[in-house]
Amino acid sequence: MRVLGIETSCDETAAAVVESGWRVASSVVESSLEIHRDYGGVVPELAGRAHLTTIGPVVRRALEGAGLDPHDPAIDAVAVTSGPGLIGSLLVGLSAAKAYALAWERPLVAVNHLEGHLFAPLLETPALRFPLLTLLASGGHTMLVLQRAPGEHQVLGETIDDAAGEAYDKIARWLGLGYPGGPPIDRLAREGDAGALRLPASMPGPGLDFSFSGLKTAVVRQVGARPDLGVADVAASFQAAVVEQLIRKLAGALERHEVAGLALAGGVAANGQLRGAVVALAADRGLEAHLPSREMCTDNAAMIAAAGLAHAARGDYAPLDLSADPGWSLEAVR
Amino acid sequence: MRILAIETSTSACAAALEVDGVVTVEVVEGERRHTETLAPAIASLLDRAGQRPRDLERVVVDRGPGLFTGLRVGLATAQALADATGAALVGVSSLELLAEGARDAGATGTLLALVDARRGEVFVQGYDLATTTPLDEPRVARPEEVARRVRSLASCTLAGDGARRYRDLLADLPGARLLDLAVPPVAAALAIGRDREPGAVAPLYLREADAVVNFATRERS
Ligand SMILES: [Zn+2]
Repeated sequence: MRVLGIETSCDETAAAVVESGWRVASSVVESSLEIHRDYGGVVPELAGRAHLTTIGPVVRRALEGAGLDPHDPAIDAVAVTSGPGLIGSLLVGLSAAKAYALAWERPLVAVNHLEGHLFAPLLETPALRFPLLTLLASGGHTMLVLQRAPGEHQVLGETIDDAAGEAYDKIARWLGLGYPGGPPIDRLAREGDAGALRLPASMPGPGLDFSFSGLKTAVVRQVGARPDLGVADVAASFQAAVVEQLIRKLAGALERHEVAGLALAGGVAANGQLRGAVVALAADRGLEAHLPSREMCTDNAAMIAAAGLAHAARGDYAPLDLSADPGWSLEAVR
Repeated sequence: MRILAIETSTSACAAALEVDGVVTVEVVEGERRHTETLAPAIASLLDRAGQRPRDLERVVVDRGPGLFTGLRVGLATAQALADATGAALVGVSSLELLAEGARDAGATGTLLALVDARRGEVFVQGYDLATTTPLDEPRVARPEEVARRVRSLASCTLAGDGARRYRDLLADLPGARLLDLAVPPVAAALAIGRDREPGAVAPLYLREADAVVNFATRERS
């Protein structure tokens, strides 16, 4: 089986071809990040415009990269992210995907973007052992997910306010480090003193939900009283508090659920300190750690095609009148 | 020739298919559900005409101006259909569709084609209906400016959902005549697009910096 995947939920325009056995035949990603940098975040209307310009060439490159005829590709289905995400961005990929499916007379598969992220580790470790505990953290989402098999997932906890990546962006903007905030804070944190600020532990209870909005407030208040602090010390203290919370909840989930491995997914999975902490936690508990490459952490269409492959294998297709669902939750995915 | 036309610049969603001179049209009016309705409408047109998508030779699409999301649904669909089948892609404007439609309806003289741009503005372009040639560039304007222009003309015809929305302001002006033509007619896209040179089609937003302006305002507040 072979599936073309299309992803346009945020600022990445992506297309990929994935085959049975979780083999990536091609994966193309174009980002409109540069357009949004000056605004400190993704501007929906500009993202929609960029997707429209980019989607055709990106799909063409993905087909050619997989050695497929662009007018009659040997694929079994067209899979597309239909939510969650920015409505104006989702509509471009969804409209294009429907047109490709219609033109080539192939079925359409609706993929939840978050479920797509859960399939990313499989593409780099096809022999992944289950059950798997995945920490999915990005600019839009932060959640802990237990997977018993590919496509069988249970959300154990999620953020009650900001996403982890969103907290990075807010602190980085406040520190004047630009957008996105993850890379500069991760870099600066290596030179700073993580104990410079005494930040309270967020969500100290036994529950598995996360919270990041109080952290920013605490950082701003404490730095106001400490004008002597350098940016690196603030970055290090903030990052230590974020990673501490993520690892504490991961460890909490491990106490309740028996798993074979830990996986990271989402853009925050590129964070160096978080990766190190997850490897250490996995080693301590005798578990496998699956740290995706940067390409597989961030939004891409290979993960959408992979999830689409799983749905197509079950004959789970979508009609041509499919709507985009900007708030589609992972719990609602069958 | 087998031509498909797509029109999604207003709240309506329309597609038309011409196969060897026989035209069929699907219009879903006033719902703003372009994402849901466009692809099934196209599939239904092809199906009823006994055509396969790969048989399409040309795809004509309304590139605006109009509702941004509707335009993107139409353009993303048209682009992908053309890419996937190898059909030629051709762009037409919503305002020239109104002009073509007005001429078909028997209007003569000067036409002001008006597409509702929301936020108290319209997209407007003037046409000489004797030849259906534009008198100026399409632009975004306030209805009061359009009214001044109507007053400066001896007589003119007004068409489009922008004319309908601001009829109280425009229709009773001396020499003005409001045509019962709100939606750019998709069949006109077949007529115009048939002979036009194909190529890449870019949307005609006419309000390029709008989102950026809004974002800056939101950031300050
Ligand atoms: Zn994502």
